[in-house]
Amino acid sequence: MTRDSTGTTLINHWQSGVPVYRGPVITDTLVFFGAVAVIGLALAAVRFWSPLGPYSGMNDAYAWGIWKTFNVMTLTALGSGPLALGIAAWVFNRQKLHVVMRTALVSGFLFYATGLIALGFDVGRPWNFYNALLPWRWNGESAMLEISICMPIYCALFLSFEILPLVLERLYYTGGDRTRAALRRISPLLRRMYPFMITGAYVVPLMHQSSLGGLLLLAGTKIHPLWQTPFLPLLYLLAAGLCGIAFVTFLLLLACLRYRRPLDLGILGELGNLLSAACFLFLAVRFGDLIWRGMLRSAFAFDSMSIIFLLETALILVPAVALRFRAVRETPRSLLKVATLACLGGTFYRFVPTTIAYHPERHSIYFPTVPELLIGAAYISVAIVGFGLAVKYFAVLPGDSGGWDHIFRPLRLRRTATRAEGATA
Amino acid sequence: MNAPISRRQALVGIVGAGGSVAGALTSSASAEEHPAHPVAPPDAVAMLYDNTICTGCKACMVACSEVNGLPPDTALSGGLWQVPSDLNSKTKNIIKLYQEPDGPGFAYVKKQCMHCLDPACVAGCPFDALKKNLWGAVTWDSSLCIGCRYCEVSCPFDVPKFEWDKWNPKIVKCEFCFDQRLVHGKEPACTAVCPTGSVIFGKRVDLLAKAKDRIAASPDKYFEQRVYGEHEAGGTQVLYLSSVAFDKIGLPKLGSTSLGHYATKVTSVIYKWLSAPILLAGVLGMVIRRNWNRHEAERPAREKRTGFPDQL
Repeated sequence: MTRDSTGTTLINHWQSGVPVYRGPVITDTLVFFGAVAVIGLALAAVRFWSPLGPYSGMNDAYAWGIWKTFNVMTLTALGSGPLALGIAAWVFNRQKLHVVMRTALVSGFLFYATGLIALGFDVGRPWNFYNALLPWRWNGESAMLEISICMPIYCALFLSFEILPLVLERLYYTGGDRTRAALRRISPLLRRMYPFMITGAYVVPLMHQSSLGGLLLLAGTKIHPLWQTPFLPLLYLLAAGLCGIAFVTFLLLLACLRYRRPLDLGILGELGNLLSAACFLFLAVRFGDLIWRGMLRSAFAFDSMSIIFLLETALILVPAVALRFRAVRETPRSLLKVATLACLGGTFYRFVPTTIAYHPERHSIYFPTVPELLIGAAYISVAIVGFGLAVKYFAVLPGDSGGWDHIFRPLRLRRTATRAEGATA
Repeated sequence: MNAPISRRQALVGIVGAGGSVAGALTSSASAEEHPAHPVAPPDAVAMLYDNTICTGCKACMVACSEVNGLPPDTALSGGLWQVPSDLNSKTKNIIKLYQEPDGPGFAYVKKQCMHCLDPACVAGCPFDALKKNLWGAVTWDSSLCIGCRYCEVSCPFDVPKFEWDKWNPKIVKCEFCFDQRLVHGKEPACTAVCPTGSVIFGKRVDLLAKAKDRIAASPDKYFEQRVYGEHEAGGTQVLYLSSVAFDKIGLPKLGSTSLGHYATKVTSVIYKWLSAPILLAGVLGMVIRRNWNRHEAERPAREKRTGFPDQL
């Protein structure tokens, strides 16, 4: 694995997922985010006994607050890495990407799981949710139904299945002979199910990520015409793909810098290429739609909404163009900057129609309250803490296969710095 | 060799669809359910409100609160009497006054649920808690509502309200006095009590004809010589005649296409019988299986070369 397709000799640093052994498990950063998570979740628990009103800035005009519009509708776009990269790897056969799938899967799972928790606290009558189990009560044409059923299924079934190998692998390395024997029996079964499960794991989020945009169709004229379009479902889906690729790139770079992992510029360049294509595809549909609806003039009217539109477009256009240059793709620093811009642009697009470009008939303002913000931040902190722990206990981050170390045990916070030979199974 | 795989692909499709097959079954008729310009069924009831007659006595508001068992909203009056500022979780019906900023002109408006012919709230409600009931009344069922508030987001008239201050919150909106009066053969409280006849109850066809007669009799009295609600958002079962511009009294400018049609015209085709997701699952499944088999075939060699087990 030291030669790329053009025959150039490269040092391919990312060969497989390898746990992070360096440094303590509990770091100051982790403690900080853990504290935010605990405070926010405690507040969220109080919400069980409190009505939504005094707790949040939501009102009848802005009935959806940041928990729905940001934690669910925006952050699951960042969590769409498993969808975008999975399709690139398994459908379009981009073999290089297999090694970064685990980073995508773990981050995607955490975004979805925390988004679903957010949704659980946001709905006013959660006890009626059992209706989801009674198909004859479903309103099959409601995008909301599609989301409230598909999202939990995707997270609890498909994403969980996809991250199961991480857990089993750890059990294998830490377990005794009997565990290992049992896992050896399970392994072929998992592999037999795998192609079918990942097919589901791509079809289901394709459905609900587009339905998130479909939700906004019914809001009609409340959403500014630059954003309200019959193409919302497709644009939301394309934005999810864009955000997914951008966020995985961003996360890989950030985590590898944080844990001093060598970078693999071949794979990062591939991600950059994909990201550029995703940005261009999004922009093509976005502008095609604006031209089709004759909205181009108001898009460049330079009034407040037009400026927001132009900002959002610039945040996506800059990465799209910049990533066409090899120098940008293969310089980690510029790749990180550009991926951050794309993350911002994509999330901005997903967030704006639900908030800034959302103008209900009644004049009212919405700004999240402090508990609302803290709870929203807590969901994100849970994801950060989850990821911080996952990279240390499971083989999530890509690295040199030779870096494997068996001498780690479940929930042991202090580790010996012993290095073992490469793992064989 | 091919047949069992394609059968398995079909199975993947069903698994991939996550069991929402039944959802597709119930929505199979959705293409016909949301025509762009719905036609009112002959038994559809309606209200006609004419603000050239209304004196603003607010008897309808009191009657509404009484019949619906709503607590008086006394916040603005310091707890003395009922003065809601707008429709809210204690107010299903309100009379509001519009005063011209520079001039003596004024107009009243009565606001409540418009009972659209194809309501956006009903199209979006995930478990049919809001539904188009008998005679076209839009009613709410507490046992089905999860409190997602999508109805508030989707309603173009900003009608449904949520009890933000209650632990067991309900969606509060005018339900045409459905349970209280309509099913007992009585007209809604507001029209029954109105002393001037500015809001009247009847069949939608009859009221529409009546409204047009009034316009024909004295066209100068009415703004744009038309009935608001005849075509707005696909048509509503509350009709308005006004002496001032409709948007001045809080009746928004809306197209004549129903929002339900706009929102479901593409998805109702894609999700009909879940055909597109199943087809997609089949195609993706086939490609993935081919790539997977290739991946598995290369696995032993790869594991031998690197000395590490293949990671999924």
